Amino acid sequence: MLWYILRRLGGAVLVLFLISLFTYAIFFLLSPDPAYQICGKTCSPERIAQIHTTLGLDQPFWVQYRDFMVGIFGGRTFGTGANAVACDVPCLGFSFQTNQQVTEMVASRFPVSATLAVGAAVLWLLFGVVGGLIAALKEGRFWDRAVMVSALAGISVPNYFIALLLQYVIIVQLQWLPFPQQVDFGDDPLRWFQTYILPWSVLAFAYAAMYSRIVRTNVIDTLGQNFMRTARAKGLHPSTIISRHALRPALTPVVTLFGMDFAGLLGGALITETVFGLNGIGKLTADSITKNDQPVIMAVTLLAAVLVVVANIIVDLAYTGLDPRVRVKAS
Amino acid sequence: MSDQTSLKTVGIRLPGSRLLEVDDLTVTFPTSRGDADVVKDISFTVDPGQTIGIVGESGSGKSMTSLAIMGLLPRGGRTTGSVKLNGHELTARSDREMRRVRGERIGMVFQDPLSSLNPYYTVGLQIEETYRAHRGGSRRAARKVALDALQRVRIRDAETRIDHYPHQFSGGMRQRIMIAMAICLEPDLLIADEPTTALDVTVQAQILELLTELQDATGMGMVFITHDLAVVSEIAETVLVMRGGVQIEQGPAEDVFARTTQPYTRALLDAVPRLGDDVATMKEVRP
Amino acid sequence: MATALNEVTVESGSVGALFTDSAPTPGRRVWRELRTSPTALLSAAFIIFILLLAVFAPLVAQLTGWGPNEFDPDAINPDLGGLPVGPGGGIGSDHWFGVEPGNGRDIFTRIAYGARVSLTIAFAATLATTVLGVLAGMLAGFYGGWVDQVVSRVMDFLMAFPTLIFMIAILSALPADNRLVLLVIVLSVFGWTYTARIVRGQTMGLRTSEFVEAARASGGRGLGIILREILPNLRGTIIVLVTLSVPAYIGTEAGLSFLGVGVVPPTPSWGKMIAQAVPWYASDPMYFIFPGVFLFLTVLSFTVLGDRLGKILDAGDAA
Repeated sequence: MLWYILRRLGGAVLVLFLISLFTYAIFFLLSPDPAYQICGKTCSPERIAQIHTTLGLDQPFWVQYRDFMVGIFGGRTFGTGANAVACDVPCLGFSFQTNQQVTEMVASRFPVSATLAVGAAVLWLLFGVVGGLIAALKEGRFWDRAVMVSALAGISVPNYFIALLLQYVIIVQLQWLPFPQQVDFGDDPLRWFQTYILPWSVLAFAYAAMYSRIVRTNVIDTLGQNFMRTARAKGLHPSTIISRHALRPALTPVVTLFGMDFAGLLGGALITETVFGLNGIGKLTADSITKNDQPVIMAVTLLAAVLVVVANIIVDLAYTGLDPRVRVKAS
Repeated sequence: MSDQTSLKTVGIRLPGSRLLEVDDLTVTFPTSRGDADVVKDISFTVDPGQTIGIVGESGSGKSMTSLAIMGLLPRGGRTTGSVKLNGHELTARSDREMRRVRGERIGMVFQDPLSSLNPYYTVGLQIEETYRAHRGGSRRAARKVALDALQRVRIRDAETRIDHYPHQFSGGMRQRIMIAMAICLEPDLLIADEPTTALDVTVQAQILELLTELQDATGMGMVFITHDLAVVSEIAETVLVMRGGVQIEQGPAEDVFARTTQPYTRALLDAVPRLGDDVATMKEVRP
Repeated sequence: MATALNEVTVESGSVGALFTDSAPTPGRRVWRELRTSPTALLSAAFIIFILLLAVFAPLVAQLTGWGPNEFDPDAINPDLGGLPVGPGGGIGSDHWFGVEPGNGRDIFTRIAYGARVSLTIAFAATLATTVLGVLAGMLAGFYGGWVDQVVSRVMDFLMAFPTLIFMIAILSALPADNRLVLLVIVLSVFGWTYTARIVRGQTMGLRTSEFVEAARASGGRGLGIILREILPNLRGTIIVLVTLSVPAYIGTEAGLSFLGVGVVPPTPSWGKMIAQAVPWYASDPMYFIFPGVFLFLTVLSFTVLGDRLGKILDAGDAA
């Protein structure tokens, strides 16, 4: 079992390494020269060269990549002498456009994305699982259709459209909620809740729609399994049959999916954050792309990939805990 | 609470009644072509310690008969006729009432033990839950019952293996576990729906032996469903041959096998290949 | 469960007669079942409508009397910051869906041209990913061994990427020409894995089936078997995958355009129209509602059709 974990971790490290290399290479090849962005159009060649040296852009690819990776674990310094800029561990780069360490930029925005992710996750798990369950149990009847139609709408409607629509209807027309405002929970819990409730709902709607379809299919499949017939033949109470025998087989695959989706969301919900004006990692990404702030884009991409890979491992391990058949293979 | 008392007494034989009496049992399903009787006017009886073998090909209605007795028909199925356990009528009962009967008064064993056991739970738990659903009681008491049941079906190292998962057992052992689950509450009747079909021939013999032993020890009646004539001849005193939902013939096993006058039964018997048979003489059974 | 179902199909009356009538060819049956489903018909009708809109966009422009990039200064009120004149964002006999604030471009025409972009990109990406995915999936599923290892590792690697962010990052870094082609390429590179996964799974299942064994026994070779035995049996799966890929790509392209890395203005795209409508969402909601509704209904139609096809084909296998 330990061997299995080590193997998985080893594989993950390899994947992360490859992703970081790949990402760095893509940006290395594709991005315009950052020197021009820092300096502007009216830049003298000496100034450009100077910037190149400061940023280490005159080095070959492998050196740059190595410096970047080393910087993550040990910090690095850009430039020398009086104009040297320090970048503390873990150094994900330095944004010369905004004059900030990228790590700090990302870290400061993480709480917003996390809040968004957690709130949405709670909502979508609740509605998705319960909805799918109800649809499966009432298969072919009214509630099944009702849930499935909603789910269909949820996966078909673009979330920025729903976001705008909700903002328009609820905030502007009905005025049930005030405009979203960035507040801390501690300062003004009501306003905090009012700010997040719409983005939570928008995100949750799309995911819940997807999940209810999946849960429904899984539960229906499970209900048709032979061991369900055995459970009934033993004279068990229907609620026991559902809760004990149907849910675990049906929901275990959903755990995998949830892990990946949640991790992805932690990396920032670009569209939702942009539309609602929430200052999370997603908005940071979107803004940086508009401004072409290279180090930030690079860092956020890497961070998102790391989250997904880590989530993958956690979910795999959780699976061995949840499904006894996999456990034996692992040990 | 009249239904409560009557349920308690389902275990008590009404004077003059048999263990199981099935009378003109008919099972109907709605299909796109109108109602279809998958079982039509089937009648038979079972006494304690006695086994009836229901024989037929797939589609003959034999499994449906057993499901009808248990009240476990798929959605849409209707039962008419009478099924009496110890003289108490079962067909008109609600699902809630039948739940008391299932597992406690009638045990059931199914064909494929791997898919019939929940892979996510230990075998111990799956046996214990039967006990706890019917008798209440603590986990410890339930565990004792489960252990006892496993030992009765001859699972070695039962104390350890009780915490193992279904996929950690061989096919034959899984079937023993299913039997353990079905008999742990000492039911009056055991319904076995093709319990040996998915098993090797050698393991088949062991399972049949086990069933006979258990029957001798507890005096329970058995309904044994199969398409395998060789198996039936070993375990059943009475044989009921079904085809297309209808009874072709019924009688003591010896009589049916040695002296049948029914062409269908004849064809079934002839279709069992024996060493030394001429290939050309082997006939096909038209379903 | 199998036994129970079998017994249900027994006919009463004729003793023991278990007959099945000759099944109509799958294509005809699918067509017949689709025809009887109102939701499928509605979806198909809407899809055809959008297709026509896209194909005949220039005709639409002639019909409305406005080109997609033609400004109409009379339709907007400069005193109100460029807000359209008239209700619902300038809806009237001149402009059936109103105009864009600020420049007065006819929305209906732009929706038609936007349909072109959405459908072209979605169809192209679907074609590419289906071909790639089916090929990769069949090869990996059929040959197993190192071929499977390689393909699966590549799929795992690609799937570990945060797709949206990566696509945005790449697209933002690339120059603006040949945008359509670039979009299709980027979408395909990250999209084929989903199809490949499913096809691989199905192929592995088919590999052990009897007719493949028979083909092998009669001397069939790898590629021949794949093409003659496995591919035809994947037909249903592929159809459903295609029908469900299209809306996924429509949505993704719209999202990318919304974020500003999709098609380049002035090419209209539904996603881009919504993005441009964001600042006007309170004063001229119809500006974002029109493209939004079209996006929604188009994706919905394809999804409903795909779902229904999937159900019909599933039921066919069980019969």
